[in-house]
Amino acid sequence: MPPIINKKKCVSCGYCAQICPVDVIKMEHKEAVVKYPDECWHCRACEKDCPKNAITMRYPLSHLMLNMKPLGGK
Amino acid sequence: MSIKIRNEIIKTDFLIVGGGSAGMQAAIAAGEKGIDVVIAEKADTRRSGSGANGNDHFACYIPECHGDDFELVIRQIDMTMDGGPFQDPTMLRLWVSRSFEVVQKWEAIGINMRPTGKWNFEGHSVPGNQRYHLKYDGTNQKMALTKEAKAKGVKIMNKMVVNELLLDQGRVVGAIGIDISDTQPEVVIFQAKAVLLATGGASRLYPGITPQYMFNDCGCPANTGAGHAMALRAGVKLANLDMAAGHAGPRYFARGGKGTWIGLTSDINGTCITPYQDKPSRENGDIASDIWPGSYRDRMQCGQGPTYMNCTQTTDEDLDYMLHTAMVSEGIDSITDQLAQRNIDLRKEMIEFGSYNIGIGSQGVDIDTHAMSNVPGIFAAGSVGNVKGSLAGAVVIGMVAGESAADYVKTVDEVSVENHPLIAEKIAFYSEILERESGAHWKEAGATLQNIMNDYAGANVRSESLFAAGLAYLATLKEESLKHLYATNSHEFMRVLETLDLMEVGEALMIMARNRKETRGMHKRVDYTYTNLLLNGKFQTIQRVGDEVKLEFRSPF
Ligand SMILES: Cc1cc2nc3c(=O)[nH]c(=O)nc-3n(C[C@H](O)[C@H](O)[C@H](O)COP(=O)(O)OP(=O)(O)OC[C@H]3O[C@@H](n4cnc5c(N)ncnc54)[C@H](O)[C@@H]3O)c2cc1C
Ligand code: SF4
Ligand code: SF4
Repeated sequence: MPPIINKKKCVSCGYCAQICPVDVIKMEHKEAVVKYPDECWHCRACEKDCPKNAITMRYPLSHLMLNMKPLGGK
Repeated sequence: MSIKIRNEIIKTDFLIVGGGSAGMQAAIAAGEKGIDVVIAEKADTRRSGSGANGNDHFACYIPECHGDDFELVIRQIDMTMDGGPFQDPTMLRLWVSRSFEVVQKWEAIGINMRPTGKWNFEGHSVPGNQRYHLKYDGTNQKMALTKEAKAKGVKIMNKMVVNELLLDQGRVVGAIGIDISDTQPEVVIFQAKAVLLATGGASRLYPGITPQYMFNDCGCPANTGAGHAMALRAGVKLANLDMAAGHAGPRYFARGGKGTWIGLTSDINGTCITPYQDKPSRENGDIASDIWPGSYRDRMQCGQGPTYMNCTQTTDEDLDYMLHTAMVSEGIDSITDQLAQRNIDLRKEMIEFGSYNIGIGSQGVDIDTHAMSNVPGIFAAGSVGNVKGSLAGAVVIGMVAGESAADYVKTVDEVSVENHPLIAEKIAFYSEILERESGAHWKEAGATLQNIMNDYAGANVRSESLFAAGLAYLATLKEESLKHLYATNSHEFMRVLETLDLMEVGEALMIMARNRKETRGMHKRVDYTYTNLLLNGKFQTIQRVGDEVKLEFRSPF
């Protein structure tokens, strides 16, 4: 579930659902729902624009960046 | 589910399909000229497209910084990722010569083009040359462009997917859109004297770095070649689809904006593998991945990989700047966020980079210096066949399209589309998909399309027998898809239409690649291993004329 909506903070204004570039978040029964998590671009637009700071991002393990210490020491 | 149909026809002079960077600039330019403009955007122009969260490099020529020798400027820009083959020299000159104009316009509407207080050029640069990539802060660019377009009287219709152009006597007269704001999709008809196709490139045509997650893409995954597909169906000429290539960036988190990294392209030992610099350079960036984005794949395949972005020698100051300023301006601070959440310290750890698969960017409608296609009234900007320049190319050509459309609409009469035969035909087709109670989900078709593209027109091996089979399989996939695809709401319906558009773009790409009987760049034909010098500088075009497909190699202009 890439964006996580904190239900305690969310005021159901619908803005995140309106601006998501790929239509991931939907308003259902006046509640913002991350309806299509597999289609999230992880752009953070919803997180940045939420007027209540109710959204945090989780980066799924499928999108893991591969990190490595140089073997040569430096 | 049935489809709703809006009774009212939306009438305008100029319909802009796609309110991304190019579309917004076109709208502003046309609005300034006083014509009636409507933008149809499938998402919301404040946060849509590849510039949704910002961009940070604006290729431009500022005479007070670069001097008056325009030919030198052109030669040097031609050496960066925004130049090179498959761009008409006249078009390169056109966007470069007017780039500063847009920079000034953007500054005037509140986009921070000089975060350091002066014109500052960084990244994507060839050591020894002047630098042309203005380092700006694009975090609010889509908001600012939206506000400005509205101030110019432009009407913005968000959540509006345009799916078909309406033609009459060989010129465009309108379009068919689908409003997806509600669960039930609604057909909306547009009557327009001119239409701009500005739907961006085509992501999701090939499997990405995580094929299971199709939206893990460096470009905006909402850009699915809709403009390309509509253009093909309307008899518009497209150029260079066969030369589509790929981007590069971190694995397994596909992000654009590799030019924002300040580090060295290194092997697993941390040893720099490119000849361009031996120290990380904030000024130049690392041009290696611009020049040879396929290098990561090539090194992996020949056993020299993996290849890393190595920031262990980057100064603390530059690292802080890269992670907390530059990546934010560029709209890729989800990298910063993931690194922070996982406690990865770039002073100690390298990040593996990979070559991303083929994606359609600077390939598409073949336009003239007025940004018009061969079909009167159909303009294109952004992902077009003969212009590069990334963002700068898109917005300057968008501006040109807006100006040209304003002149063009004065020369033609409005044509009523009320009884256009394509409308009933399309509604019947949409209804069929929506009324199916079961069938194939769009992802099934999308996955097979990606497999076919990768296996039969991929980046490694291309040949006549592969193309012959690939085209046959694509035809089967399309036939089966048309019989079985279904959608239970407007979101899924949009995805179905995107998948069908992508199939058409894929088919055109494959037809063109089959006809290019030589090896060139990423087009590696095992049956024609040489590069045909007679095709140097030539642009291949494709055009549907009735049931025929016309292919040509044209000279550049
Ligand atoms: C993270 C990132 C960073 C980048 N950084 C830079 C940079 O620093 N410098 C640079 O030069 N370039 C950069 N680029 C590339 C640059 O963003 C693009 O070249 C530019 O946005 C292209 O503009 P466009 O208008 O063609 O496409 P976009 O801005 O992507 O707009 C296309 C629009 O069309 C809409 N659309 C698609 N299909 C339909 C349809 N059927 N109906 C209605 N609307 C539709 C989309 O929702 C979208 O809003 C970056 C790209 C990314 C992803
Ligand atoms: S923008 Fe924030 S407050 Fe508004 S619906 Fe979304 S999560 Fe809730
Ligand atoms: S991160 Fe971007 S793509 Fe994902 S839900 Fe938020 S706005 Fe949509």
